[in-house]
Amino acid sequence: MAREALGAAGLHLDDLNKLRVLDPEAAQQTAQLREECGAFLDKIAEFQKIVGSLIELVDQLAKAAESEKMKAIGARNLLKSIAKQREAQEQQLQALIAEKKMQLQRYQTEYETLCKIEADQNEFIDQFIFQK
Amino acid sequence: MRLKISLLKEPKHKELVSCVGWTTADELYSCSDDHQIMKWNLLTSETTRLVKLPDDIFPIDLHWFPRSIGGKKQSHAESFVLTSSDGKFHLISKLGRIEKSIDAHCGAVLAGRWNYEGTALVTVGEDGQVKIWSKSGMLRSTLAQQGRPVYSVAWGPDSGKVLYTSGKQLIIKPLQPNAKVLQWKAHDGLILKTDWNSVNDLILSAGEDCKYKVWDSYGRLLYSSQPHEYPITSVAWAVDGELFAVGSFRTLRLCDKTGWSYTLEKPNTGSIYNIAWSIDGTQLAGACGNGHVIFAHVVDQRWEWKNFEITLIKRRTMEVHNVINDAVDLLEFRDRVIKASLNYGHLVVSTSLQCYVFSVKNWNTPLIFDLKEGTVSLILQAERHFLLVDGAGLYLYSYEGRLISSPKYPGMRTDILSAQTVSLSNDTLAVKDKADEKVIYIFEALSGKPLGDGKPLAHKTEIVEIALDQKGLTSERKIAFIDKNRDLYITSVKRFGKEQKIVKIGTMVQTLAWNDTSNILCGIQDTRFTVWYYPNTVYVDKDLLPKTLYENETSEFSKNPQIVRFIGNLITIRRADGSLIHLNISPYPAILHEYVSSSKWEDAVRLCRFAKDQTMWTCLAAMAVANKEMATAEIAYASIGKIDKVQYINSIKDLPSKESRMAQMLLFSGNSQEAETLLLQTGLIYQAIQVNINLYNWDRALELAVKHKTHVDTVLAYRQKFLEDFGRKETNKRFLQYAEGLEVDWNKIKAKIQMEIAKERERAAASPAVRASVTVQQ
Repeated sequence: MAREALGAAGLHLDDLNKLRVLDPEAAQQTAQLREECGAFLDKIAEFQKIVGSLIELVDQLAKAAESEKMKAIGARNLLKSIAKQREAQEQQLQALIAEKKMQLQRYQTEYETLCKIEADQNEFIDQFIFQK
Repeated sequence: MRLKISLLKEPKHKELVSCVGWTTADELYSCSDDHQIMKWNLLTSETTRLVKLPDDIFPIDLHWFPRSIGGKKQSHAESFVLTSSDGKFHLISKLGRIEKSIDAHCGAVLAGRWNYEGTALVTVGEDGQVKIWSKSGMLRSTLAQQGRPVYSVAWGPDSGKVLYTSGKQLIIKPLQPNAKVLQWKAHDGLILKTDWNSVNDLILSAGEDCKYKVWDSYGRLLYSSQPHEYPITSVAWAVDGELFAVGSFRTLRLCDKTGWSYTLEKPNTGSIYNIAWSIDGTQLAGACGNGHVIFAHVVDQRWEWKNFEITLIKRRTMEVHNVINDAVDLLEFRDRVIKASLNYGHLVVSTSLQCYVFSVKNWNTPLIFDLKEGTVSLILQAERHFLLVDGAGLYLYSYEGRLISSPKYPGMRTDILSAQTVSLSNDTLAVKDKADEKVIYIFEALSGKPLGDGKPLAHKTEIVEIALDQKGLTSERKIAFIDKNRDLYITSVKRFGKEQKIVKIGTMVQTLAWNDTSNILCGIQDTRFTVWYYPNTVYVDKDLLPKTLYENETSEFSKNPQIVRFIGNLITIRRADGSLIHLNISPYPAILHEYVSSSKWEDAVRLCRFAKDQTMWTCLAAMAVANKEMATAEIAYASIGKIDKVQYINSIKDLPSKESRMAQMLLFSGNSQEAETLLLQTGLIYQAIQVNINLYNWDRALELAVKHKTHVDTVLAYRQKFLEDFGRKETNKRFLQYAEGLEVDWNKIKAKIQMEIAKERERAAASPAVRASVTVQQ
């Protein structure tokens, strides 16, 4: 009875017969909820930590990928320019070779004329000996 | 020959270098777009910043004020002209102070050049004008004006003409107004650079068609290069005109004056915008597009003589290679080698301070003496002495190092002398000057005084190349020369008052050389290689000349070959493409010359019989007549089938007196004037008259007869006979005058002639000087 009267006044008695403003059931649920909330918060914090490290990792990967990409582009450009450099080098070497070839040609002409002189002189010597 | 290149690791200039210029042989100034002027000292390898120009001056071209020539000496250039992109040129002192800035052109001033005397400056600009300025920078005249920029300009050798570019064309304009302007299309692209050498009078041009070309001063093309990969941005002559350098993108080429290239270098320089040769011609500097200044030294020059090969392996080291025993000697010098010459068993080397004389017999102990002025531009050798030419004069030294003489002539300019215009023999020196190209100055080598009456040898057209023969008597010294029309002439250097006889012996002669041991001349006539075994023939018996030649028709010498040397019986020729061609000729003519010079006539005849060669016999005939050796002449003429001449020689032999024989010999050589003079001098009047009668020289015969009051009737009788033979009438007034009242009596005349001959015989018998032999010794 008294309970009901108290209840009407908005007061409750719990199992230990202590006077309560809140309904003991609700109070129990609230406490439970609070506990659950705490657990949830912990979990979320943990989740955040995990995600944070994940993001960091991905970032690192991205950076690495980026630098690799730059490297690749650089390498590709280098390759292209090397081809050009080689071309220029080749051109230079070709010019030098052409020059040497000219020189060789000159030496060859000189050699030929010297050979001719040798032949002439041998012939002259033979003739000279023969006539004596 | 090649270039030894030195290039710093890091460029000293931050921007492209536009121009360079040498002050001495070891100091260079360079100007760049970073507004700095740098001074490079090659002895200490130091580079100092001389001055920083205002930011609005972008230098384009610099040229040092010339060192004065001849007269007052000045060892350093004191100031230079710098042209810039803002239309001004600046006169800047050696220390970098801008003395004067003068507004010259609208748009950039693209080039500025002092003339050789330093009396005038020419500038050209983007506005297409060519302006002449005084030494102090006063405008004298605007020489030319055209619609397009002038990129380059050069002075002619005598500073009387200016060469400049106009698009694809080159233009030579004399300073005198109304003089003829020469203009021709030189390149297929824009011409970027041009240069004109004062020694060889050749012009270089380089253009955007990637070619460089060599021209003579008449605008005839002598050489055109293969196209390069990039436009040719610079060309420059070495001072002595033997070499030139060509610059392009990453390209530096060293070329011979005939155009072919000695060497090609591919340094990392960017484009070479400007090339300057040092005064001694041993090194060059190039202004590079990437801020560098490139230095290149000419090394690996070679000298050959008989069995010796000498190479300049480093600036101060020569390697002597004796081919016979493969011995190698190294010659070290204290300073840089500037010029060297190897001939007649001696090597003469000039360095910047001293002159070394080596004998091929001993490479260890050279004779060394100091030079007055450093830069020797030419060394010429003869058997007994050698000639050094420097900026101030000509000096003749013996191989013992003694100064023999120092010839001089009025208006002498030694900086333009080359081996083609100076010739030396044991007793004579010949010089062709630029001031009057038609004359040759001839000096006695030992005294340095002009020969004979001091008047130079004069010819009717401009002379291109001269050469003195090397052997034989001083009185018979001959000079051969080629004139502008490429005709070859020969004449005696000794003249005794009488008119000089210059005889033409060849046409279209490209080049010539005398032999070192005998008076044999060789040359290239058109495409034929020709040897004049005995050029003196023209003074003895001109008809024989064609038979004393050796000709070799070959197509192997292309265009413009040059004879390098003629030693013994070996001739070396440099072809236009640079290859050397060696030729040998028969050794007999040289031996014949030797026998004749020592009067071994019997040996000479035996040699000719052995050689069985018509040319040899012809030479011997001419030599014998020249030396009045009648017996040998008779044999030689008989061998070449000249029976008429044999008969004539026999008739000479029968003559009663020495004088008549001499006179007849002179007649035989075609010197009737001298023969007559000789006879008159010795009192043989009748013989002199008879000589003229035989030559149908009636007027002179009569003149002599009348003058000496003898044999007038003889002359008239012969004249009458001649007229009767030809069925003509007397028209000569003098003969008509004397014929009046004179009866021709042949019997009387014949008796008189007999009497004359008897008289001569008596005279000859009376004088013991005349030998019984038919030979008339000299």
